[in-house]
Amino acid sequence: MRRLSWFNVTSLTLGFAFLYVPMLILIVYSFNESKLVTVWAGFSTKWYGELFRNEAFLDAAGVTLRVAFISATIATVLGTMAAYVMVRGGRFFGRTLFSGMIYAPLVMPEVITGLSLLLLFIAIGLDRGVLTIVLAHTTFAMCYVSVVVSSRLVTFDRSVEEAALDLGCTPFDAFRSVTLPIIAPAVISGWLLAFTLSLDDLVIASFTAGPSATTLPIKIFSSVRLGVSPEINALSTILIAIVATGVITASLVSKRAIARQRQDQRAAVAGA
Amino acid sequence: MTGGAPQVFAPWDDPKAKPLIEFRGVTKRFGDFTAVDAIDLNIYPREFFALLGPSGCGKTTLMRMLAGFETPTEGHILLDGKDLAAVPPNRRAVNMMFQSYALFPHLTVYDNIAFGLKRSDMPKSEIDGRVTEMLKLVQLGPFAKRKPHQISGGQRQRVALARALAKAPKLLLLDEPLAALDKKLRHDTQFELMDIQEKTGTTFVIVTHDQEEAMTVASRIAVMKDGRLLQVSTPPQIYENPNSAYVADFIGDVTIINGTAEPHPDGYAVHWAEGQAPLVVRSPLTLSSGQACHLAIRPEKVDVSKTRPEDDNVVKGEVIDIAYLGNLSTFHVRLPGGQMLKAQKFNTEHSARKEITWGDEIWLSWSDECAVLLDR
Amino acid sequence: MSDMTEDTDRLGALRRWALILVPYLWLLGLFLVPFIIVLKISVSDIALAIPPYAPTLDLSQGWQGLRDFLGKLDFENYIFLTQDDLYWKAYLSSLRIAVVATVLTLLVGFPVAHAMARAPEEWRPTLMMLVILPFWTSFLIRVYAWIGILSGEGYLNQFLMALGVIDSPLTILNTPVAVYIGIVYTYLPFMILPIYATLEKMDDSLIEAAEDLGCTRLQSFWLVTLPLARPGIIAGCFLVFIPTLGEFVIPSLLGGSNTLMVGKVLWDEFFQNRDWPVASAVAVILLLLIILPVVLFQRNQERQGEAGK
Repeated sequence: MRRLSWFNVTSLTLGFAFLYVPMLILIVYSFNESKLVTVWAGFSTKWYGELFRNEAFLDAAGVTLRVAFISATIATVLGTMAAYVMVRGGRFFGRTLFSGMIYAPLVMPEVITGLSLLLLFIAIGLDRGVLTIVLAHTTFAMCYVSVVVSSRLVTFDRSVEEAALDLGCTPFDAFRSVTLPIIAPAVISGWLLAFTLSLDDLVIASFTAGPSATTLPIKIFSSVRLGVSPEINALSTILIAIVATGVITASLVSKRAIARQRQDQRAAVAGA
Repeated sequence: MTGGAPQVFAPWDDPKAKPLIEFRGVTKRFGDFTAVDAIDLNIYPREFFALLGPSGCGKTTLMRMLAGFETPTEGHILLDGKDLAAVPPNRRAVNMMFQSYALFPHLTVYDNIAFGLKRSDMPKSEIDGRVTEMLKLVQLGPFAKRKPHQISGGQRQRVALARALAKAPKLLLLDEPLAALDKKLRHDTQFELMDIQEKTGTTFVIVTHDQEEAMTVASRIAVMKDGRLLQVSTPPQIYENPNSAYVADFIGDVTIINGTAEPHPDGYAVHWAEGQAPLVVRSPLTLSSGQACHLAIRPEKVDVSKTRPEDDNVVKGEVIDIAYLGNLSTFHVRLPGGQMLKAQKFNTEHSARKEITWGDEIWLSWSDECAVLLDR
Repeated sequence: MSDMTEDTDRLGALRRWALILVPYLWLLGLFLVPFIIVLKISVSDIALAIPPYAPTLDLSQGWQGLRDFLGKLDFENYIFLTQDDLYWKAYLSSLRIAVVATVLTLLVGFPVAHAMARAPEEWRPTLMMLVILPFWTSFLIRVYAWIGILSGEGYLNQFLMALGVIDSPLTILNTPVAVYIGIVYTYLPFMILPIYATLEKMDDSLIEAAEDLGCTRLQSFWLVTLPLARPGIIAGCFLVFIPTLGEFVIPSLLGGSNTLMVGKVLWDEFFQNRDWPVASAVAVILLLLIILPVVLFQRNQERQGEAGK
């Protein structure tokens, strides 16, 4: 019933144009024939071909995916544990320090996180490579996971857990059979967030990666410093396409889930 | 309702009275949906006018058009004889009390009440006096410095009322003003509203779905359904002489019996069941013989007795259900042929000695003036 | 029977401690300890060695080693930071860029958030998704996209020259303007989402009430919408301001050599000059700069939480 005023329509149009036009330009020019990125010279997919023949990029992509997968998985486990401790753990020695360490990495500038971890790895004599990147990414990603999961834990009805305990579950059983299924969506989005943060990270990876392991962002950064390249455009297009597919699918799935839930509720009401 | 006046307050019966608000053929459509359908209505100064109907009947849309938040698709709304169409909400001498109260959460009670005054051309020096006056009117003086979330629901309701009245509008609109209050508080507040309306002499238009509330506060009630006005009349008129089965059923408790009319001295005889004597009723309607009709009977008009009484209408039935309400009891009685009839009886005797119980055969009776004949 | 309960109790306690200790130790080892190392190196001296700083803690010497170690620490690096005007210029410039960029992001983000909250309800999930989508897309790529747009022969200059607005290309890339554009672009979702969240919760009838009481559209915006959006505006500003202060990618890709920001100075100090002690001191000061806004932000969040109740 409500109509948007022309001012609001303009704000939305300009705002979303600002957000999306740069990405659209990247996508369009990734199909440019010319090596000169800013001059249109006809449609071509040759840069995608070049990209897939570029061993260095492929290696970096492999490392990045491996790092992201491992660190997201460990971070999800640790972050969920940390969230549970924060919300349900009660009092214990050093709780304030614990919650401080959960929140601090969220606001810590990446350069500082990267620098400090690098100094640690050198101090303990750990060779820099995939392992050190994984450790670094896990540490900052687990904090994001724990924030996502604890926000879900805070909102859900505690009495459900208490009912499980009342029906004879041990606290661990109650967590596994009641709490975990309920917070599962938050745990999954935590994993996705950790995965994306790891895929995305340039600064921390630059500090903690050694000559033996280069991630995709490091590779992109060093080539982008020299200017725009059609291969990077093609790579960007692929990454944007993956993310867009993921986000759109996720929103459709959740939309359908909500619709189904509403339908079920309506059916239940009608049946009653 | 303005009982103290020497003359009965009934400007709607006076052809010379000048209405404050005139709706002339007002229609409002949202896409395909007609919310308000060709309404003509006059509301007079100092009235407490109630728009009553179920949700979705168009009463809120009608009110929002008065406030200026919606514009009529067709027709005109006149305030003091002037068309309101071109006047935006912030220029209308009309203020509204919102259902959610819409108190500004970031402002104190005092600043909420002063909000409209600061927007008017009232000199700054007078604003304080006016706000204090309003605070006194709604008895909220000690709470002036509080924020809305620091006072109770009933107090918030009064702040909303004071804020809307502060600018001394010609017309005050109240959108379900008491819906958020609990029952006890609602009753007290109804009388307070009437009191304030009388003190300030402001014309009130209230939107409500609660027929009891409308009956209590209003000088006239408009019963709405599907965007149309079914009946506009005083509460006693609406209750005693509803013009349709819908209105009869919507206002208060009633039994509707379907039948066919047959002219009879002083009115009609309604044939309602095989082998049963017709029910006689007086009516100003003109119906042809054999025309289908409704007979509406209010439960409190029906006498209940164990022995056969003498009256215009007497029927026998079996008690199926008794709803004991303390001061009175409602009997659900099944008549021969299955028709249910509701009857009420005041519990003047002590309940331990109440004589009628489930399954009893009892006699129900009422005079020919007590039922209402309605055409179908 | 009682033995069994005791056993399960002990098992439960064990599990609880494991649950607490695993993430706790992880964070201690990989967050707190590294940070203490940074603090320590920031008071050490640069050395031509591997690692390139001195002294190193030599615990094999026992108590004497620790004493020697502590005796050699000093605040030389911090004094150096105040003497060389590169550093305080970088801090000031970071602060200025962060403040200006935050204000610009607010100016761009607020109308969008406001319009989203006014949009029909069935559009809102889609609009939300459209705001969140860039957030999931690679930060690096989104910054990179602007290089092609802002460069001398870039799309923006081509476009403006084709329109005849300008005759010769504008120099935008490698100036602070490009940094501002980059920050506004990448951090816009962080500004839009909290403001949208507060505006969306707002009861429409408040605006109607304001108009009913005599406000024009503009007045009701100033007197009602804006004050009520304040918690969201504050949250959004912090979410942009805090990470911008230590930003590295945007100034190094879009800012060129003209734009000084601490994040980049620290990076260069570490990777180019290989002066780890000075890099560490830069980091410590940057962190101190960030603590104040973080504490203020937390206060705001807590107050908002209380008001929500």
